[in-house]
Amino acid sequence: MTTESGTRTAGAPPTRAGRFVLASRPLLGWRTVDILTVAFLGVAIGIAMWGWGILYNGPLTALGFTFRPAMGLFVGMWFMAGVVGGLVVRRPGAALACEVVAALASMLPGTEWGATVLIAGVLQGLGAELGFAIFRYRSWGVVAAVTAGALSAPLEWLYEIYAYFPDWSTQWQLVYLVMMVISGVVIAGLGGLALVRALARTGALDAFPPGQERREAHAV
Amino acid sequence: MLRDLDLVVEPGERVLLVGPSGSGKSTLLRALAGLLETADAGERTGSMSIDGHAPGARPGEVGLVLQEPGAGVVASTVGRDVAFGLENVGADPASMPGRARAALDAVGLHMALEAPTASLSGGETQRLALAGAVAMEPSVLLLDEPTAMLDPVSAASVRRVVSEVVEREGLTTVVVEHLLEPWLPFASRIVVLDDGGRIIADGEPARVLAEHGQRLADEGVWVPGVAPPEPRLLDADVLGRPAHTADGTVVAELLDARVVRRSLGADGRVREVVAVDGADVTMRAGQSTVLVGPSGSGKSTLLAAVAGFLPTEGRSERFAELTTTEAAREVAWVPQWPSAAIVAGTVLDDMLLTSRALGLDEDEAWARAERILDAVGLLRLAGADPRHLSGGEQRRLSVATSLVHRPRMVLADEPTVGQDRRTWAAVMGLLESARRAGTALGIATHDPAVVAGADAVVSLQTVGQPPPPPRQRRPLAARCGPLALLLGAMLGVPAGILAAGWQGGLAVLAVMVALTVPALWAPGEGARPRGRVRGILLRMIPGLLGAVSVGWSTWLLADQDLGVALGAVTRVLVIIYPSAVLIRYVDSDRLGDHLAQLLGFPARPAVALSAALQRLHTFGDTWSQLGSIRRVRGIGPSRSPVSVLRHVWALTIGLLVRTLGSAAALAVAMDARGFATAYRRTWATRARWRAADSLLVVAAGVPVLVAVGTRQLF
Repeated sequence: MTTESGTRTAGAPPTRAGRFVLASRPLLGWRTVDILTVAFLGVAIGIAMWGWGILYNGPLTALGFTFRPAMGLFVGMWFMAGVVGGLVVRRPGAALACEVVAALASMLPGTEWGATVLIAGVLQGLGAELGFAIFRYRSWGVVAAVTAGALSAPLEWLYEIYAYFPDWSTQWQLVYLVMMVISGVVIAGLGGLALVRALARTGALDAFPPGQERREAHAV
Repeated sequence: MLRDLDLVVEPGERVLLVGPSGSGKSTLLRALAGLLETADAGERTGSMSIDGHAPGARPGEVGLVLQEPGAGVVASTVGRDVAFGLENVGADPASMPGRARAALDAVGLHMALEAPTASLSGGETQRLALAGAVAMEPSVLLLDEPTAMLDPVSAASVRRVVSEVVEREGLTTVVVEHLLEPWLPFASRIVVLDDGGRIIADGEPARVLAEHGQRLADEGVWVPGVAPPEPRLLDADVLGRPAHTADGTVVAELLDARVVRRSLGADGRVREVVAVDGADVTMRAGQSTVLVGPSGSGKSTLLAAVAGFLPTEGRSERFAELTTTEAAREVAWVPQWPSAAIVAGTVLDDMLLTSRALGLDEDEAWARAERILDAVGLLRLAGADPRHLSGGEQRRLSVATSLVHRPRMVLADEPTVGQDRRTWAAVMGLLESARRAGTALGIATHDPAVVAGADAVVSLQTVGQPPPPPRQRRPLAARCGPLALLLGAMLGVPAGILAAGWQGGLAVLAVMVALTVPALWAPGEGARPRGRVRGILLRMIPGLLGAVSVGWSTWLLADQDLGVALGAVTRVLVIIYPSAVLIRYVDSDRLGDHLAQLLGFPARPAVALSAALQRLHTFGDTWSQLGSIRRVRGIGPSRSPVSVLRHVWALTIGLLVRTLGSAAALAVAMDARGFATAYRRTWATRARWRAADSLLVVAAGVPVLVAVGTRQLF
């Protein structure tokens, strides 16, 4: 067993697209730490959703009994995992996987919505994934984050108006969609991006592209 | 980190790699394991080889044991955890129980293969990690401070087992340590790194110690025969003498304390563990009290109870009712994991944070902060981001910040773990200075040098747990696999959508309730399972609220038609009712196995999912711990929504940072056992789709058919 000095540089320099650092090639060659991070982030955000409950449980219950479509303004909380998972790992499938794991983690200890949470997780995660796929997994700034957040809404909306609110008049159904998209943009898109940037500043994402970007910004 | 390093280790050598905090020992160890790129960032030059090939070419060739017990635990049972590496290399599942048994016996763990990993002590968990490495028949064993977080008795047992295993298998071994003495009988060679990651001494242990002993001690290495360092005290006027206390005054007291820790498991059941039972602690001004005992005896829990973090029976004071600023005046907390306490963006701001929250005189606090930073060598970093400091620096900072606002009591959880001689002297110097200034000092520790300097010692024993409840008969639904339960729960959705009107909904609901009876029927021997019906009701009450809210919105937004609104209510109830019955029986430990083996889900994500779900309750603990720390730093939430929002945001970031750290550590441990290349892995436990699963899905399909039928009727 030896270690010796030398000049051979190991590992290719990071691939990039403009100002964004991309995940190592091949894009579908998930490292162990990528897989584990998506799973762990998903579970942690699933747990955090319980903690966030102190923010929205009261208002949400009140809204439910007054003007239900306004509840759409809160759904961005549940879209967060997909946006964050995608922005951190930057590989195809990360957003979907992270959102589904978060749904699973919040379902297993028991919520009144039970297995429907898992269905919602898949639909929201697919939306977020689509948001990043549109940019061919090469753009990871505000525009991509906001798009992923916004696109988390439509499939979930379709499911909800089909399963829960088929009797609402069409314009109220559309109002609900608009509220959900706004929430996805603001809470999941902008909020998720802010969260990832805050995490990068702590140094916790150094093994991932956002951490690489921070180090480069620092070095200049 | 490391540069110009040449190291050749001969087969069969037992190398002790020592050096001060931050000298790159762990980095070198990861390089030897071929795992530098697993979770680290940065540049690497040079080459590495084992027997002439790159490390990691044969999975499991290099066995690795990490410092933190549990960081590398993959599975929920010990047998499965040991078999993890074997699964990754595609070993024959039939051979796994035997090989796992042999590896467990080799490290002295004689419990059943089905024993839960969560029930092991710290020392046993380290031996489990060793067994996991041994099962892979390594030729090289790398140990990264394997005993640093253990009590002396457990540490000795781990060393004994390492030495036996290495002897028997003739392994080449590298142990990273900063505590030399206990490893000396084991080592055949010592390699010493200095601050800059260069080798400053290398050779036979006796010779290296004779020639370089004093220099090593000066570099911070704990060298046998050199007297322990003196705590480096602050000048007496730095902390002054706060007026509030005379020495000996009781600051906090717990009598006959009993703490029950509750955690929510992934199965939705609350697990209760009696962590402390019948302990007495009296904290007095100007005196230090240490809590000692084997790992798992509840030292940290008792300390947290003294701090008022946990609901405690036998508590004489009521910290829980204090506001965040009142709590901050009373008590400061130095967490075992130092980065948890860091809040502000610069070292100096972090030092002044609590003083500012308390409205103390800024100039005085500033002066105190600068002198304390100077004393522990951090003043030059006053403007730096504390989150980018090394672990040792963060430890010193977290102790330093606890003193600036001069609280009545400082509580430190294992403050000297992993410290070299120099940082030990700095950390203990700060705490001792606080004590001399009249602060009541409480320390949970297993460091003999800390115990030696204490005024009072509270010795804890491992708490006997109440006997587990008698084995209950399992309901039929609980005998089904996780996939069938999930599918059954989801069939509520088509049933709800297809049912016609509220009459149809009610009919379907009636069928579902009738089907609940056989699903929850528990035939066989044993005690009657309790809480089956109550559990459903508990979940259906919030569900009913949700359903009524949907119904109300439907009435409001769809022509105020009562029948339509009632239909919406019953539809929601039909959708969620199967979940209320079935989800609690989903066994999350088996979910990964079933997804991969029955649905063809890719193996590596399935394993990662299991490992993450298994840690679900620890994430909840982290959340509440971070909340407590912010509270005693004086920046907990007040009633204002903005402060609650800020609090929740900070906790979210803290939780995620901690989570990312766990994921990175586990990635290293898993790759050391061949996970990176486990594309064709085998499974130690075969997942089967049983007749019970089919029966459950068929039964859950009945309400869907009934729902279709109601469309003809109503």
